[in-house]
Amino acid sequence: MQEFQTFYQENLGRIYRYVYSKVGNREEAEDLTSQIFMKAVRGADTERGAQSMQKWLFQVARTTIADYWRAHYRIATNSLEELLDSGWEGPAEDGPLAMNGKPEDKVQSILQALPEHYREVLTCRFLLNLSVRDTAIHMNLTEANVKVLQFRALKSASKLEHIVTEAI
Amino acid sequence: MSGEDQERVEDYLELEHFIEELQAGRAAHPPDGLTPSKARIYRMAALFRSASPDEATPRPEFAAELHAKLEQELQRSPKKRRLPFLSKKPQVRPRVSRRALLAGGAAAVAASLAAGAGLEHVIEHATTAGTPPPWNNRLLPMASIWHPVTTLAELGNDPLFFFVNSIAGFVIRNDGDGDAGTNAPVIAMSAACTDQSCILQWQKADQKYLCPCHGALFTEYGKVDKNTPPVYKTLPPLPRLDVKVVGDQVLVRVPALQTSKK
Repeated sequence: MQEFQTFYQENLGRIYRYVYSKVGNREEAEDLTSQIFMKAVRGADTERGAQSMQKWLFQVARTTIADYWRAHYRIATNSLEELLDSGWEGPAEDGPLAMNGKPEDKVQSILQALPEHYREVLTCRFLLNLSVRDTAIHMNLTEANVKVLQFRALKSASKLEHIVTEAI
Repeated sequence: MSGEDQERVEDYLELEHFIEELQAGRAAHPPDGLTPSKARIYRMAALFRSASPDEATPRPEFAAELHAKLEQELQRSPKKRRLPFLSKKPQVRPRVSRRALLAGGAAAVAASLAAGAGLEHVIEHATTAGTPPPWNNRLLPMASIWHPVTTLAELGNDPLFFFVNSIAGFVIRNDGDGDAGTNAPVIAMSAACTDQSCILQWQKADQKYLCPCHGALFTEYGKVDKNTPPVYKTLPPLPRLDVKVVGDQVLVRVPALQTSKK
């Protein structure tokens, strides 16, 4: 049991952060993290060692997140080619490193690559947790402006994601 | 750019609604039928939310609860589900001596605590004659440390949850009206339900601990509550943990973690 304890402690934070970076809220991050560990424990292959157990856990995490995305991000088009053309990638295709990279680092490098007003609106809303109202006051904009700006900032960030991530 | 990516006012409002839900910590889902590029905007919002400083680590209560559930799962069908790397030799399970469990240190205590089944093995039963008081059981880890969990100044009238080195517990002030069974100023007890080890939740309104799994109720000092569902009337009380107050610090005795790895 000692080893299970160690295994759990070493992986809980990692899996939780990974899941959190995909769903963005604690409620679902906890729920999905529980599901992932339960599935991993239930499906554990009797021949596995500790290291391959971790691989298995990460695999379960990726497929669980992929299922989550399928369930909640119902995209208008059904054509796989269209999806690929537009650069859509499900989380199932995340490389093995995705699990180890810190979401904060990824966010920081995306922020650095954005124009200043985009960086500022995203910092206010997400890193400082300010409301639209407070962000508007801080940036000397109207609330409606903030809503437009944050939409465009995230859009711009989503286009940068792959470039930035590859550069790390 | 194709027409599908034209922005509408609703897009801004829907995204703002999503962000507000995330900020509130609630489950949030994007609207149906997004174009792929809009879906990526929502993914970005989730990613950025995870970089918020207060969200990086799982809550200790959650960590403890999930740990307990997993241990239970592992115990349920030992043959099939026991992870092979967890035990080098085939286990002869039924009778684990207390000594063996204690020698295993933190993990063994945690495992048995979480699994509930083994709990009695780590409980020191008082052997006094006559009617035993309800709190004659204490958790006694062999290699232990005194861990500061709070200060008297910070400890209000409600119990405080803690999770340290695999022990989930509550500390609570003794109100001194005698029902704590001791004169100690602070009481510490296990937070694992004595039924199936789910982590109890303090119900401020009723001043009781409620088990989220099956509804068992315990009083503020860990006795089975008189309003607990009938099948749980005979549950043992919550095991007490050793606690002491040094200066203003409230210290609880918890297993010393073996730091074999880094």
